[in-house]
Amino acid sequence: MALAQQVQLQRDPGARSDIARRAAGSPALQLVGRRLLTAIPVLLGVTFLTFVVMNLIPGNPAQLILGINASPAAIAKLDVQLGLNHPFWDRYWLWLDGLLHGNLGTAYSNQQSVNSDIAQYLPTTCWLLLYALVGALVLGVIVAVLSARKPNGIFDRISLAVSMIGLSFAPYALAEVLAWVFAVRVHWFNVIDNNLGGNPFSAIKALTLPAASIGFGLFAVYTRLLRADIVEQMQREDYIVTAKAKGVAPWRVLVVHATKNSLFTLITLVALNLGTLIGAVAIIEPIFSVPGLGAELINAIQINDLPLIEGIVVVFALVTVAGNLIADLLYAVLDPRIRYGSSGS
Amino acid sequence: MPVRFRLMSMRAACVAGAAALVLTAAAACSSGSGSSNGSSSVQTSNSSIPVAAPKKGGSLTVLEGKGFSGDWPLGFDPATNTTGSADQDYYNAVYGQLFELGANGKLIYDLATGYTISNDSKTITVTLRPNVKFSDGSPLTAAVVAWNWTRDLQSTCTCSPASSWQIAHVNPKVPTSAPAPGVIKVIDPLTIQVNLIAPDGAFINQMFDSIPNWVISETSFNKMGEKAFAQLPVGAGPFIMVSDSYSNQIVMKKNPGYWQASQGLPYLDNLTFKSVSGDEAAYEAMLAGEGQVYTDMSTPQLLSESQQHFDVLNQLGTSPYDLQLNTAVAPFNNPKAREAIYAMTNFQPILQNIFKNAYPVVEGVTGPGGICYQPTVPGYQGYNATLAKQLVQESGLDKVTIDLGTISSSPVASETTQALSQEWAAFGVKTTLHTYALNALIQAFTVNAGKSWQAMIQTAGSYDPAGGVGVGFRFMSTAPFSGVHDPQLDKLLAQAVATSTLSSRCSLYNQAAEYIAKNYYGPFYFAFAPANVSVKGVGGPGLSTPLPPVVVTPSILWEDVYYNPSGS
Repeated sequence: MALAQQVQLQRDPGARSDIARRAAGSPALQLVGRRLLTAIPVLLGVTFLTFVVMNLIPGNPAQLILGINASPAAIAKLDVQLGLNHPFWDRYWLWLDGLLHGNLGTAYSNQQSVNSDIAQYLPTTCWLLLYALVGALVLGVIVAVLSARKPNGIFDRISLAVSMIGLSFAPYALAEVLAWVFAVRVHWFNVIDNNLGGNPFSAIKALTLPAASIGFGLFAVYTRLLRADIVEQMQREDYIVTAKAKGVAPWRVLVVHATKNSLFTLITLVALNLGTLIGAVAIIEPIFSVPGLGAELINAIQINDLPLIEGIVVVFALVTVAGNLIADLLYAVLDPRIRYGSSGS
Repeated sequence: MPVRFRLMSMRAACVAGAAALVLTAAAACSSGSGSSNGSSSVQTSNSSIPVAAPKKGGSLTVLEGKGFSGDWPLGFDPATNTTGSADQDYYNAVYGQLFELGANGKLIYDLATGYTISNDSKTITVTLRPNVKFSDGSPLTAAVVAWNWTRDLQSTCTCSPASSWQIAHVNPKVPTSAPAPGVIKVIDPLTIQVNLIAPDGAFINQMFDSIPNWVISETSFNKMGEKAFAQLPVGAGPFIMVSDSYSNQIVMKKNPGYWQASQGLPYLDNLTFKSVSGDEAAYEAMLAGEGQVYTDMSTPQLLSESQQHFDVLNQLGTSPYDLQLNTAVAPFNNPKAREAIYAMTNFQPILQNIFKNAYPVVEGVTGPGGICYQPTVPGYQGYNATLAKQLVQESGLDKVTIDLGTISSSPVASETTQALSQEWAAFGVKTTLHTYALNALIQAFTVNAGKSWQAMIQTAGSYDPAGGVGVGFRFMSTAPFSGVHDPQLDKLLAQAVATSTLSSRCSLYNQAAEYIAKNYYGPFYFAFAPANVSVKGVGGPGLSTPLPPVVVTPSILWEDVYYNPSGS
């Protein structure tokens, strides 16, 4: 059947345009399109606000680069080179124009292209975020399911205690404790491991403590929320009673039915937490000397390196927008009843 | 389940969670080797740390703190070295130095073998070491040094010696224009001469930690281009750079062609520098065995902790902290108000309680590690509570609020401002404290023609008071970071710079210190120097033997550094 369709496509241009129309009418693609359109004002707003705030901070980047001994003439010369002598709006439009052409400008501090700086540090941060998020989700789901299996049982109570610890500990404090226990005391990991270019195993090892520092708090939140949702599903929903009455195995009822329907809240929470995740990265990366975008952002702020700050902010904003888009798409995947707009067929 | 049982379960779980939290924190905070109380004071004498005999070979990992030496934004070309002495460790390792500063201020000839200064202190002739090659095989000659210095003088960065070398320029109106013909002369393949237009007796002392002291390979620079060269520089130092992950990690290996290779130097085969976020991370990393040396530790509590496990070498400070008073604005345009500050301020309890007596009190412009060190200054007004009360009332200092600032990156300075505020409060003097990041600090000094600040705690002075962040930087009327506008003091300081004879120069600086004290321009208190921390078995100048810091931190002589773990 599929082969026949392909053959038909190759022979019949009319069929191809029909498929194109169907694709254009696809609710998922329409959703993606709408989200991308709304991302534009979001990005504009975020970058503009950042530009305003950084311009309000006292200090001249040229002075910072040249140091405290700089002569006024040298500062003035670098001001011109960096374009700092232009008015605020001129500088913002110039930067925006560069952004539209895919050029994020040149960092004041090292005179390197911001694009290349970000390309250098982004993969590390992405891996760290992914590691933390996936770890928190996977463990969170497993623990939540096991806790919900027997509410107020021993496992549930232990998981509650662990979650309380996770919710109580600030990520930076947890980072220090983890470093002390697992690096200094038992030497399972390193305090600083800024060489991530080796094999995947060494990169995973290097990122474990930072990811755990970020992910533990998330794990606590996800566990409690999901567990509560599953328990409510199991205790109040008619379809659960029906499934049990039909003789479905208890594990299947719990995992396939209740847990699946409880994931909506979790997905929403994950999407909402993306900003928190990114903020945590900026704190945790410097502690472990991880060469990522978070640490680079902190360095850039300290010397008022506006192009680099703006570039990193754009990246983080895009990640947040993309994360929310994925969350919306996942709703449709999990619940076929959800449709975005009208269907073309 | 009944509600009360659920609540009891929740409560029990919360208590269990809190208990686990406390236990974990207690386990994390416990130290395996006893008390971490700072009852022991940090070593302050200039005696060396006893270490094992030198051992050839091996590797050493050096941790460098971010925000200072752990950032190297523009690579390793001296002509673009905007971060100054912060990068000296890497520059010294790759380039070596023409002149090195050794223990007790002894001048060590590395790539140079001697110098002369003319009687009028305007002509300096430097002799280079023969048969020295860069790691690319090209020779170190006077022509190469001339090329380097010409390039350095035309650099637009503040690292350029154009601000301190008083020379004639092709375009006199542009300080970074090329030197005029005859300024830098190649006398013969190993002799180079610099001709100044104004006397500078401190010329050689000003070379330490400055870019003319680091000579790059002209051959490799022309071949690689500026950017590539900055990433993988080529010098004639004891090590060759193998890889540089920007502001992250540098790997170096022994330079087999180093001029002292026949004497078995450098000792180490490999030298790695790693960037860490700060003192705490470095301390933990060293405990975990991830580094053997950490340079520039300044947190007092961690210095005490480190002494339990490592060798902590406190360098002899050369740059004293000074409480600068802005004489251009009220209340410190009133000499009585300034004298009141001197009389109200007692540095002894601060040194004892905060810094565990790690540093001696200083009253002059150099610390114990510098030349011209003068422990006491005649006529210096010390702490006197009775006089302070009288002067506070006469000057009306208790009716104003003093704005006291310092740089935020220095915990030493920040803690001192808080302590001073409390001392002054006992005399009814109120203060508002500010800590500034570097950018804001510069602005605070310079905005409104320098009339927006009242009092600042900053370092003032250096190894040679004429060099670096010297006395002139804080006390000459032409300096933007000075609170003093006194032509007589300007004249005294200018005379001191011009004098080539050390004894005469020190005599003039001592006179300047007395003059500053007599006019109450700003009390000095102590010369702080960050400590270098190393594991047992590490030895070498700057790590087991104190070196005088030129600008806050000493220049470690890496060719003489070794690591002998079995001898520790």
